[in-house]
Amino acid sequence: MSETAPKRGPVLAWRIALGAAFLLAWQGGVNAKLLDKFFFSRPSDVIARVWMWIVSGTIWPHLAVTVTEALLSFTIGALLGIAGGFLLARLPWLAAVCDPYVKIANSLPRVVLAPIFLLWFGLGIWSKVALGVTVVFFIVFFNTYQGVREVDPVVLNNARMLGASERQLIRHVLIPSALTWIFSSLHVSIGFAIIAVVVGEYLGASKGIGYTIAQAEGVFDTTGVFAGMAILAAFVLLVGEGVSRLERWLLRWKPAAHGAGGDSRDNVV
Amino acid sequence: MAPAIALRGVAKRFPGYTALEDITLDIPAGRFLSIVGPSGCGKSTLLNMTAGLSRPSEGAIEIFGEELAGINRRASYMFQQEALLPWKTVRENIQLGLTFRGREGRAAAEQAAAWIHRVGLDGFAASYPYQLSGGMRKRVSMAQCWIVEPEMVLMDEPFAALDVHTRLRMQSEILALWTGSGKTVVFVTHDLEEAISLSDEVVVLSAGPASGMIGRYAVDLPRPRPLIDIKTEPRFVELYRAIWSDLRGEVLKSYERNRA
Ligand SMILES: Nc1ncnc2c1ncn2[C@@H]1O[C@H](COP(=O)(O)OP(=O)(O)OP(=O)(O)O)[C@@H](O)[C@H]1O
Ligand SMILES: [Mg+2]
Repeated sequence: MSETAPKRGPVLAWRIALGAAFLLAWQGGVNAKLLDKFFFSRPSDVIARVWMWIVSGTIWPHLAVTVTEALLSFTIGALLGIAGGFLLARLPWLAAVCDPYVKIANSLPRVVLAPIFLLWFGLGIWSKVALGVTVVFFIVFFNTYQGVREVDPVVLNNARMLGASERQLIRHVLIPSALTWIFSSLHVSIGFAIIAVVVGEYLGASKGIGYTIAQAEGVFDTTGVFAGMAILAAFVLLVGEGVSRLERWLLRWKPAAHGAGGDSRDNVV
Repeated sequence: MAPAIALRGVAKRFPGYTALEDITLDIPAGRFLSIVGPSGCGKSTLLNMTAGLSRPSEGAIEIFGEELAGINRRASYMFQQEALLPWKTVRENIQLGLTFRGREGRAAAEQAAAWIHRVGLDGFAASYPYQLSGGMRKRVSMAQCWIVEPEMVLMDEPFAALDVHTRLRMQSEILALWTGSGKTVVFVTHDLEEAISLSDEVVVLSAGPASGMIGRYAVDLPRPRPLIDIKTEPRFVELYRAIWSDLRGEVLKSYERNRA
């Protein structure tokens, strides 16, 4: 892995170049009237709008609500998912019993749950958190389950021979072994948590970035829509980077984590 | 006194393959016993059962007179495969058995440091297993096994990955640890010279399927043994010839079968 990973410097330069080329093409296309400004807005307008929202402070309460919802659903969903994954992986009998129900629950499209959650939990943050949890839970759950089951039986037996109790096995063997899997799911699920809460806000809320976007759409304000998306993207990248750092530290025992190149899973979302 | 390990008519059958058949063997406490046999004859299978990690399909195993059910808590087991915890450093790995027994802090750390030195890994205490060579990892495993002061140690080809020099050092280290300790050692190897120079007794297993014991040889060489020179002593050569005449036939059989 790390031997073939590209060098960081040139990659970064090309990344920036690609992004800049895209924005310039967009900007130029609109300026040259190849693209209709009404439908496509313009990068310069979007940046100006984001800036205006920031300096005027109007965006903060909305962002705060969305961030709170996303982090709550991420945390609750991940904790439940890890706990559930461990439980079923350690109790094959329970796993066999629950299997069809887990599959049924996971096959439900989450969007159809949104109105129900609105009815159950009201217009406030909890209906969005509930929606986010249903998304995050299953991703983390399946990965944890897999990770715990894939633990090297020789390592497990070695720990047992050295006198590990069931609790010590979980702490010293199963959790570290499953961490790789858990982290790959966290990268994906943080993005989905944000998508879910924004969809929730979009369908019925009085605050949040999703609500802001819905408002802008209501008046055909494409600049406002793109500005909302830009803020969401920045937030996803920021949290993703946080997860990556935590991962690099917790998985420092893995050779691949020390590679010079960027983590390939960084930006899956 | 009951033997440390007693195998009573032990057989092991896997679906579609009988690995071991009717093994009966008493290993008195304090003995250093080696098991030799062609590859695939069931040596690791036998150790796994003695460790309590797998059940005999037939027969029973007694540990100090008590029938073994579940993990053999009086044994340490050095696996043939990689068995270190990849997420723990050399120090943490070596100390693991102590950690599991709730022994942490200064005394445990000092004990671990002594073991790190003993297996020649000074300066690698904070390394992770992936940063070590195969032989270094084996030495960590060895320290991990012995630090808990078990009553019996099961070792599965512990030195196969070591160069001649390191292997000699580790062999004398094992002998030094074992001598006067009263511990029972069951040592699997396919190096007959190693088996004879270390052990009190060498057991030869036949080629699979359905391997059984085809020979037991008491090694009556005096101790302490000079590991470097012992291989040229007349009594050593005599034992070697005798055991090899048993083993050679089995190795050939196993080779023919695998080729067929
Ligand atoms: N879980 C299993 N399922 C089916 N067959 C098995 C299993 N474990 C071992 N065997 C078979 O049992 C036989 C003995 O295996 P074992 O690992 O004990 O050999 P060994 O004597 O340790 O060989 P080596 O010297 O190569 O390590 C082999 O033929 C192997 O294929
Ligand atoms: Mg083996």
